[in-house]
Amino acid sequence: MGITRRDLLTATAGTAVLGSSVIPRIAFGETKTLKIGFLAPLTGEVSAWGLPGLYGCEVLVKNINAAGGVKIGDDTYTLELASFDDEYLPDKALQGFKKLVSEEGAKFVMMLGGDPWPGVQRFANQSKMLATTLLPSDLSPDTPYLLAPCEVHPIYNVTGVEYLARTFPDAKRAVICAQNDSLGIPSVATYEAAFEAAGIEVVDVNIFDPATTDFAPLVTSLLAKKPDIFCYDTAYADFVNLIAQQLHVQGYKGLQISCTCDNYPQIVEKTSKEFMEGFIFQFPDFDDPKLNEPFINFPEPNKFFADYNAAHPGTWTAVSWEYPSIIVQWIAGAKLAGSIEPMQVLEAMKSKPSWPHIFGEAEWWGQDLWGINNALVGKWPVVVIRDGKAVIAEYGDIPAWWAKNKDLMIKHMRNRKQMWDQRA
Amino acid sequence: MEIILQTCVNALVASAFFALMAVGLVLIFGVMGIINFAHGELYMVGAYLVWYFYSSQGWPFLVAVLVASLIVTVIGLLMERTLFRPMRDNPLGGLINSIGLLFILQVLAVQVGGVGLMKNVPPAYRGSLDLLPGVAIGNQRLVALVIAAALLVCVWYFLTRTKVGWALRAVAQDRDAAALQGINIDRISMLAMGLGAGMAGMAGALIAPLARVEPYMGHGVIITAFIVTIVGGIGSLSGAVLAAVLYAFFHTFVTTYWNGTIATMMGLLIMLVVLIVKPTGIMGTRVSE
Amino acid sequence: MKPARLAVPALFALAVFMVALPFGLKLHQQDFMISLLVWVLVVSSYRLMALTGEYSLVHVVLMGAGAYSSALLAKLAGFSVWLAMPCGALVAAGLAAVLSFPLFRMSGFYFLIGSFAAGEAIRLSWTYFTVPFGGPKGIKLIPSPELTLPGLGPIAFYEPIPYYYLTLIVVGISLFVLYRLENSRVGLTMNAIHWRAPLAESVGVDTWRYRALAFVIASFFAGLAGALFCHYYGTANPVQFDVAAMVYVLIWVIVGGVSRFSGPIVGVVVLSVLNELFREAEQWRPLIYGCILIAVMLYLPDGLIGLPARIRDWIEARRGVAALPAGAEEPADFSSSKRH
Repeated sequence: MGITRRDLLTATAGTAVLGSSVIPRIAFGETKTLKIGFLAPLTGEVSAWGLPGLYGCEVLVKNINAAGGVKIGDDTYTLELASFDDEYLPDKALQGFKKLVSEEGAKFVMMLGGDPWPGVQRFANQSKMLATTLLPSDLSPDTPYLLAPCEVHPIYNVTGVEYLARTFPDAKRAVICAQNDSLGIPSVATYEAAFEAAGIEVVDVNIFDPATTDFAPLVTSLLAKKPDIFCYDTAYADFVNLIAQQLHVQGYKGLQISCTCDNYPQIVEKTSKEFMEGFIFQFPDFDDPKLNEPFINFPEPNKFFADYNAAHPGTWTAVSWEYPSIIVQWIAGAKLAGSIEPMQVLEAMKSKPSWPHIFGEAEWWGQDLWGINNALVGKWPVVVIRDGKAVIAEYGDIPAWWAKNKDLMIKHMRNRKQMWDQRA
Repeated sequence: MEIILQTCVNALVASAFFALMAVGLVLIFGVMGIINFAHGELYMVGAYLVWYFYSSQGWPFLVAVLVASLIVTVIGLLMERTLFRPMRDNPLGGLINSIGLLFILQVLAVQVGGVGLMKNVPPAYRGSLDLLPGVAIGNQRLVALVIAAALLVCVWYFLTRTKVGWALRAVAQDRDAAALQGINIDRISMLAMGLGAGMAGMAGALIAPLARVEPYMGHGVIITAFIVTIVGGIGSLSGAVLAAVLYAFFHTFVTTYWNGTIATMMGLLIMLVVLIVKPTGIMGTRVSE
Repeated sequence: MKPARLAVPALFALAVFMVALPFGLKLHQQDFMISLLVWVLVVSSYRLMALTGEYSLVHVVLMGAGAYSSALLAKLAGFSVWLAMPCGALVAAGLAAVLSFPLFRMSGFYFLIGSFAAGEAIRLSWTYFTVPFGGPKGIKLIPSPELTLPGLGPIAFYEPIPYYYLTLIVVGISLFVLYRLENSRVGLTMNAIHWRAPLAESVGVDTWRYRALAFVIASFFAGLAGALFCHYYGTANPVQFDVAAMVYVLIWVIVGGVSRFSGPIVGVVVLSVLNELFREAEQWRPLIYGCILIAVMLYLPDGLIGLPARIRDWIEARRGVAALPAGAEEPADFSSSKRH
């Protein structure tokens, strides 16, 4: 291991103690500005996947700069974000990518990914620019410089199912609902594989239009199948909210599992603590004490959460920490490379078989699903709601599950036409 | 059997909201000849105001709903005065103005409430009413349904049984003839706009605890409202209500038994067929242009 | 209005400017220009439709139909991109021909909404049928055209400057065709249908046929624009051609001013450039855009092309010359077109 937790913390910590060890150096060394590109939707309907991330990055960058910046090689850098609103359109994304890289001089570009990525792909390859995505389904053998270093959706969903099957061995019938988009469908395949691996039968899958406003019919239709387990798939947090309310009204009493449940306090308020007890999902609160475990690679998650909520109350979602965690990993890579040049950082990051992911050591992975090992997979938290509060129940081990059930996953991915070689 | 009944209950609730939106659109289009693209945003503003007054300020839910729809009514009156009246002979100009307002209202909603997760509006009426074993309606939905239906009845009474309502319908039928009869077109236009906006605001306010309160929530609603308006016949208020009920039942049943995307697709196709077979809609009598 | 003598040198100057332009631009602005040229073609073809008095909401979906068909022909059927692009345009035109049967039973507001329903149904089918349309993610890795010139070697059309010139040539020729068409007998008949439909019918003009013809030709160029778009950006998905994009086209056409050929072009150029200038405003950008739309409609009811006349009036009024009352020269009614 070339990188330790200590290196990461010195690089990114916001505390006065660690800060003071960095600041004196600035007096002697030269302080330069390092630009980080942020290319995501900032207006319009998809902005919920971009704007909270930009807010999170601003909080992190502010903390890092307040602590004296980052030392990479012989230079100390203060970080600066350069953002561009891609409106979730491929043409705007390409314009933005070019502007960030060739005019702003960004050294890597964080993207949401998804629909806009194919517009950028050719230029990113040509210009050898390091880019990151939150949607690993963008990965393919044609994307050598695109990493999915934080969120490896939907593969981590297997950890929740594994926990559920172990804790409630009597639950045997599951229904899945999913919105019809690039998040929902691969996630359906993942849950199908995970349920099959756990010996649970999937009795119905309902794929709904993301423009749906009334979930009463969908819930009626799924409850008619008398499930033990209701799986929300990767429904957007707001859909989970509305569907849960309908489940509550229509008298559902069984188990619930979901990828996200960002606004669970609202759901608890709207339904009841009893209804939400034991709800399983995959995204922890950042004030969770279990995030202070030594293997977590994120500077002071609890303080970050508090700072964020002070600056942008009511906007916290999973992307609020995901983009910042990518900055943390990039800094670790740049420190190892001793350089901020994109290809050197990429080489340094990929040179290690394992790399510090936010939830601990992880391996470069993805060959079987996307034809390239550019996604970082390791542990992922299983979060359970207990007495109205989400707590990390355990850290599930994705590679261990994969080693046992790889063929199942590939079967279901192929069935849902989600393998990289099946894309149009 | 339970599923069919539960689906009927679901559809009934949906019908009331479709009708509130569609009747408002019909009124505005009928009287002023302008397609109000910002109608969905008025609905959004209604929902945001309830979020503010009820969830943040702790007002009683029904008071918040009333105040919200009154404020949206005032916004509607201002729209008529500033954006639509100068465009009376320029319907496309009116359309563009309403789109401009749509952008403005969306940005203001983002600035007031941020983006990310939907605004939290907890239900004021908890629990649910079991109509039959396995057939339930949430109390919040029940209240919304009752108020929406009552409002529709009031509007219907006003339009058919009062002198002003009669004048409004006369303007919708033939503006020039109505003007010759001495009806004040300006005042009737403001009335139509205020009434239409108020209904949209009321729909948004009532649905706030049940729906996704976010800056772009008007988008999906306006499309449904257009479909309903067309199927019902642009000049016809009773047609709009009937079409809202039919469309809600159709869409809800297809969604329950098949798929939501298919339901929308078929809804659009039915609308096309209605337009081809009877371009004035199922209850419409007015010939276009 | 302008003397024809001035038009030729002005056009020549514009051509020189457009040819030289990419060398004065930054990398991302070159891409912006490619998109802008494509949208110029979209709004200009839309105007041909508008001449007959009908406003449709299916135009951008037909642009998408051109993009999807061209992409699928090039990717799956192995067509050369040079052949796939016109084929894509023909598919869009064919689709319009089929749609014209139901749609032209309606007019005015009914046509507007009818065309919207048809468009949404087509667009939703792209989302629903993963084979061959790729579902919500659409189609990726669409090839760019290939051309080897003797002596110059292969031209890299995935680079912005070569593709800019390709787009400039295609859009330039298309605009020329559209302009000539508008001023031909057919174009004048189309316009006559708008104003004097009963009269036109009484002298034996088949109004349905001319309306349908305008719709099909306009859709051909929309499809061509879609094909140009997708072979540069390499992707086509349902969101790109949704009602939001259509609303922008409508805005550009009307705010520019529909009464002259140049109106929609002025609209798309001015509003898009302004939109880029306000990028710093980030989340406030749509609000600024909305205010501009309202201001233009309230003060320039004839659209942005009415601005010079307004300024002239204003100057004359200042000089004390007995000016016409505001708006008298350019009537407020969008429909009272006054063409040169």
